[in-house]
Amino acid sequence: MDPMTFSIIRHRLFRIVDEAVITLKHVSGSAITNEGHDLMVSLYRADGSLLMGGVGFLHHLTSAAEACKSIIRRFAGDIHEGDVFLLNDPYTAALHTSDIYLVAPIHHEGRLVAWSACFVHVTDIGAVNPGGFAPQAPDIFSEGFSSPGIRLVRGGEICRDVLDTILNMVRSPEMVSLDLRSMIACNNVARDRMQALFRKYGTETVDAACATLIEQSESLFRARLRELPDGTWQSRQYLDVNGHTARVVLTMTKTDDRLIFDFTGSDPQSAFSINCTKWASLGGLFAPLFPLLCYDITWNEGVIRPVEMIAPEGSIVNCTRPAPVSVATVGAIQSVNNAACTTIGKMLAASDRYRDEATAVWHANHFAIFKFGRNQKGGYSIGILTETFAGAGGARSFADGVEIGGEIPNPISRMANVETVEGTFPVRYLFRRRAKDSGGPGQFRGGTGGEMALVAHKAPDGGIDYVISGKGARHPMSEGLAGGYPGAPNAYVWVHAQSDGTNAPVVATDGLEAIPGDKERVSWGVYPLKGRDALYVRWNGGGGWGDPIARDPAAVATDVAAGLVGADAAQAIYGVTLDPDGGVDTTATEARRAAIRAERLMQEAAE
Amino acid sequence: MSGTENRRWVSPTVAVAGGRHVCTACGHDLGPAGDTWKDHARCREVPLRVAGGPAYDTGDDAVHLRHFVCPGCAVLLDTETAMAGDPPLVDRLA
Repeated sequence: MDPMTFSIIRHRLFRIVDEAVITLKHVSGSAITNEGHDLMVSLYRADGSLLMGGVGFLHHLTSAAEACKSIIRRFAGDIHEGDVFLLNDPYTAALHTSDIYLVAPIHHEGRLVAWSACFVHVTDIGAVNPGGFAPQAPDIFSEGFSSPGIRLVRGGEICRDVLDTILNMVRSPEMVSLDLRSMIACNNVARDRMQALFRKYGTETVDAACATLIEQSESLFRARLRELPDGTWQSRQYLDVNGHTARVVLTMTKTDDRLIFDFTGSDPQSAFSINCTKWASLGGLFAPLFPLLCYDITWNEGVIRPVEMIAPEGSIVNCTRPAPVSVATVGAIQSVNNAACTTIGKMLAASDRYRDEATAVWHANHFAIFKFGRNQKGGYSIGILTETFAGAGGARSFADGVEIGGEIPNPISRMANVETVEGTFPVRYLFRRRAKDSGGPGQFRGGTGGEMALVAHKAPDGGIDYVISGKGARHPMSEGLAGGYPGAPNAYVWVHAQSDGTNAPVVATDGLEAIPGDKERVSWGVYPLKGRDALYVRWNGGGGWGDPIARDPAAVATDVAAGLVGADAAQAIYGVTLDPDGGVDTTATEARRAAIRAERLMQEAAE
Repeated sequence: MSGTENRRWVSPTVAVAGGRHVCTACGHDLGPAGDTWKDHARCREVPLRVAGGPAYDTGDDAVHLRHFVCPGCAVLLDTETAMAGDPPLVDRLA
C-alpha cells in the first residue's frame, strides 16, 4: 500500500472516532457524559480486535474489544446490518453494570467488516442504590440490570420490548432512554462514516491499512520497550471500606520487548463492591500504559500483544461471580490504574531518554457521590458530583503537577459548572476551590486537588440524599516518585447543624472549619443532605517528585502566597521559613533544611 | 565509585555502578546490585499525619509514610505509603 493512502485512512479513522464522540455528547443530556466526559468510543476490526482506541475512559478500550468478541460468539450467524447489541455484564466483559456497552456491526456490501463500540455511565441501572455505584450491594444480583449480550436494535429499528424492559427496571427511565439513544446515534455516525470509507477505498485496501496500522503499533511499541531498561518495579495500593483495608499489589517486569503485570500478592476479593473482574484489570493497566508509553503510537491491538497480565483468580483484581463489582471503576480498577502508573513511571524514570515522560500518580481516588431525590421543580433527579473528574496532575522530573489537572485514565475528563448542579438539584455550593496542602510535596509539587461544600436549598423534601463510595479515605493513593510525597487523601465530612433554633441559611466561604456544626467523617453508604447540614468533600492532589527540601524556596513562597501550601507545611516539609512579608528568610531556611538532614541521618539503617 | 558513564539508573536517585547500588547525588554505597538497596538506606517510618500534617490526618495512625534516606548525604531517595509491617517495595534492574 502506498504510504499516502495508508496515512489518509489512518487519519480518517481518528476523525471518525472524534465525530462519534461529538455525536454522543450532543445527543446525551446528562452531566456525567456531557460535562464529566465519562464516555468512550472506539473502532474494532471484524474479529473484535481493537483497531482505533478513542478518548474518554481508556480502561474501556480492551474491555469493549472483549464485548465485541463476546457478541460475535453469542450471535454467530445472526449479526446483521443495522443491529446494535447491548452488553453490561462485568463477568462477560464490562467494568460494572452502569457502564453500558453498545456495540454495532459495520457491514459493507453485505459483509461484516468492522465494529464500533461506545459506553456511557447511564443515569441509573436499577441497583440497590441509585446511580449505579452500590455500596450496599452484597453481590452482583443487587447491582441492577445485567446482560451478557442482548440485541437492542434490529436492522435499524429499536427493539421496543427490550428497551421497555430495561427502562422498566431503572430509576429516571427518561434519562436512561436518552443515554441509550445517544449511544445508538454515536454508533450510527461511526457506521456511516466507516461505510463511506469502505466505499471510497474498497474493502481490500481498508482492511490492508487496518492490518498495517496494528502491525505498525506493535512494531513501534516493541521498539520503545527495547529502549527502556530491563528490570522489576513494584507498587502497592490500599483501599479501605468500613474499617477493612484491601491491598492491590503489582510487580511489573520488563524484559526486552515484553511487559508482564503480575498482581500476585493482592488481597482476596472483598465483601464490598470495590472488586473488579479480570477484563476490568486488563483495561485498568492499559489506561495509563496507552498515554504514558504509547503517546505517539496508535492505540490498538498491536499495543496489547507485548503485554501479559497475571491476576490470581478470586483476588480483588480478578473476582469470581457473584462478588459485587459496582464500585470497581473507582475501586480496584482505579487502584490498578494507579499501580500501573507508578510502575511505568518508575521504569521511565530509570531511563535517561524517557525520564521526562515519567509522572507521579495523578488524581488517584474518585469519590463517586451520587445525589438523588426530588428536585426544586418537583421532578426526580439522579446525578454524580462531577468534581470527581476534576482531578490533579502528578509532578514530573521538570515541573509541578497541574492544579485540578484531570487524570491520566481519561485525558478529556472535566467537571460541570456549579450552576449546572444547582440548576438540576436543590442544593447550593458554599465554596469550590483548590485545596491547600493537597498536592504531594516534592522538589516538584503534585498538583492540588479541590475542596467544596454543599447545602440543601429550596428542596421540596427538605433536602436530598446521596450515595457515597468513598473507599480510600484513610490512605493517600496518588503515589509520588523519586522521593516525592503522595498527594493528600480524600476527605468526606458530614457537618451536622447545631440546634440553635434558627433556620438561617448556612453561609461559609472559608473552608471546612468555617462551617458551623459538628463534623462527622463519612465514606461509604447512603446519607442525607437535609436541613441546615452540609456536605464537605476534599479530593486528592497529585503525587510529588523528588526531595521536598530540594524545592526552590522561592517556589514554596509563591505557593504559600497563592494559598496552595500552608506556612506550616512550608516550614515542616519543605524546610522553608518565610519572613512576615511572605518572602524567603534565606538564613533560617538553610538552617531549617540542615536540621531536617541531620534529623534524617539520626534514623537507624532500614535493615 | 565508578564513573557516571557506566551507571545504570534504578531510579533518578539510585543507580547501579560497578555492581553496586549508589546514591546518584553523592555516590554513597547502597549495597550489592543483587540486594534490595532500601536495606542499605536509612528509613524513617512515621504516621502519615506526622509526615504530612493536617491535610494527611485520616484519623488512622497505622497508615505510615516511609522515607528512605541516603546515609551519606541525607537526600530523600524514595517514599512509600505502607501499613505498619507491610514489606518494602522492591525495584531492581535485571
